[in-house]
Amino acid sequence: MFQLKKSSIKPYIYLLPVMSILIFVFTLGLGISILQSLGYHPGIGLYEVTLDYYREVFQSAGFFSGLIFSLRVSMISTVIAAVIGVSLAYLLVMQKKDYRGLQALLKLPIIVPHLVAAFLIFTLFSQSGMIARLGVLLGIIEESRDFPALIFDSQGIGIILAYVWKGTPFIFLIVYQVLRSIEQDMVEAARNLGARGSDVFFWIFLPLSLPSVFSTFIILFAFSFGSYEIPFLLGPTTPRALPVLAYIEYTNPDWTNRPYAMAMNMVLAGISVMLVWLYHWVFKRYQHHRKGR
Amino acid sequence: MSIIWDNAMKKMSSTKKTLLIGMILLMTMFLFMACAGEEEETLDLETMTWEEILEEAEGSEVRFYGWGGDQAINDWMNGFVAEQMMEKYDITLEWVPMNIDEILNKLQGEKQAAARGTADMIWINGENFFTAKSNDLLYGPFTEMLPNFNNYVNSEDVEVKYDFGYPTEGYEAPFGKTQFVMIYDQEQTPNPPTNHEALLSYAKAHPGEITFPAPPDFTGSVFVRNIIYDIVGHEQFLDMEAEKEVVREAIAPAMEYFKELKPYLWREGETYPATLAQLENMYADGEVRMVMAYNSNLVSQRISSGMFPETSTSVIFDKGTVGNGHFIGVPFNSYNRVGALVVINEILSPEVQASKYNPDNWGDLPVLDNDKLREEDREIFERVELGEGALPQDVLLENRLPEVPAPLVPIIDQIWMENLLD
Repeated sequence: MFQLKKSSIKPYIYLLPVMSILIFVFTLGLGISILQSLGYHPGIGLYEVTLDYYREVFQSAGFFSGLIFSLRVSMISTVIAAVIGVSLAYLLVMQKKDYRGLQALLKLPIIVPHLVAAFLIFTLFSQSGMIARLGVLLGIIEESRDFPALIFDSQGIGIILAYVWKGTPFIFLIVYQVLRSIEQDMVEAARNLGARGSDVFFWIFLPLSLPSVFSTFIILFAFSFGSYEIPFLLGPTTPRALPVLAYIEYTNPDWTNRPYAMAMNMVLAGISVMLVWLYHWVFKRYQHHRKGR
Repeated sequence: MSIIWDNAMKKMSSTKKTLLIGMILLMTMFLFMACAGEEEETLDLETMTWEEILEEAEGSEVRFYGWGGDQAINDWMNGFVAEQMMEKYDITLEWVPMNIDEILNKLQGEKQAAARGTADMIWINGENFFTAKSNDLLYGPFTEMLPNFNNYVNSEDVEVKYDFGYPTEGYEAPFGKTQFVMIYDQEQTPNPPTNHEALLSYAKAHPGEITFPAPPDFTGSVFVRNIIYDIVGHEQFLDMEAEKEVVREAIAPAMEYFKELKPYLWREGETYPATLAQLENMYADGEVRMVMAYNSNLVSQRISSGMFPETSTSVIFDKGTVGNGHFIGVPFNSYNRVGALVVINEILSPEVQASKYNPDNWGDLPVLDNDKLREEDREIFERVELGEGALPQDVLLENRLPEVPAPLVPIIDQIWMENLLD
């Protein structure tokens, strides 16, 4: 009895030091942000708690176009990354050989910082970039200005390219490990019963890897939705992504603008929390559904 | 979670376990210790003689935080300045490149946490000085403690007394002076536009080949103010109320101008380069015809590094361009104030100012008063050769317009964004 009790508390005791810091930093940061978004910031002489900042943020013209831009760009880039990442993982797992070199190469973008990724995409795809120059050299386009505007474009193609380049290997890495751990017996049994490659993918691999695909999807989406450097460097001036708008307000030398930045951050955080909740909900339904069958 | 944990613990030997737990505990302790902070002893600098300050500063480390967006400046700080400080005073100068808004946020955070400071001196001016000073983030007044300030700087000069219309009151020491210039390739543009109307016709003649970094980018913001000055004059802004509606009305004709210019800009003004570095790249690649700089000697440095075409030249408007000073301040919580004072004093020496003026190093205009310099010091400046494409100091100073008061800057940026972006 005592033994059982001890082992069940033990992990919590071990984790206590780390968790106390994590929770402390997290709740403190979030709490301060909420207070500042409501206009309470004694450090710069704001004391009145009000919803005015939210109201003004919601009424400003740039806010909704920025929000929609951020949602759209993150959604498109994450979907593309997921499709390519899962397909690659499936293709590689079906091979007899391991292709370690190829795997290592695929993992490379994960360790490259986002800033560097933005630079790479810029050097390759801008109108004075390497691909445009190559096009001129080969006579495909007349002037480098004829190259389509992929960077700083209002569709956010440059941002999407950067996020896909960073995100695909991440999804690949996770899903590949999951797919590899699936018993080969199951695949062989299915094949014996006449399943084709696509059947194996859709009826064995996909259902078994779906939870991890979905969770990595949420991680990637939330990251690209909330991060500012890539949309700042590769995005258009209008619409500006929501994190960029928040950053600009935050860096305004007039500190009484700080609550606007925090109100936008709260919107970003709120949507991310909703996503995590959605994830749990879908995941529960999914497990329930599978058990029910 | 607990399963993973238990498995991991089972796999580990007991020594490793002890080590791991020990490490976690140790890290926690460090964190709490770091949070607790230390009481620092503050020296009463006002009563110390300069010799005592020098003695106190010897062998110490000074951390200088400031804008790091220009590699030439970073190299000069890490090279010439740091070496001088080491040789002359045995002071280790650590140059920490960081944007000023981040520096001020950091100071504000340190103030709220009552933590020991990390920056000993900061490179600052304009609206950021206004923010820093009005939030009590700066130590001072300190400039009159510096022998070189008293000997070489004209403390009655408006550009020393005021920073973007805001009195400096000895809370920041002058560091350098800059003036806004536009840069064109003479081969491509033999007669560069020297007023806003000529610029508009030039843009119409070469659609898609002119642009600027959108405010609130530092340089883009100056360009916008310069156009405003050219259209509605600069005098009215010097004592203008920092009221959005007042400013909006005053700059309305300029906003109309920008709207007219917009369709002829790069990408039809739908988007702008995010940073000045990107605009410089686009100019170097021949994607646009004009680049701008809030540094009148940037062009020579870019030519000698091979980035810009050799035929690049600086241009100012007939009515003049905006110039400002930039300064060095000491944070309220600087840990090594004496060291910071010694470094700032050295930066105000003729040797360092002349080295800074040299376009091979930086090309930033000096802040020392020519009349106060000794003959041999004046010669140091005369020996500095101006680089290609740059305008001489007297031409610049004759066509120099003062900056708007600091609080107007973010308001103008805001109005520009509302008019041109939304």
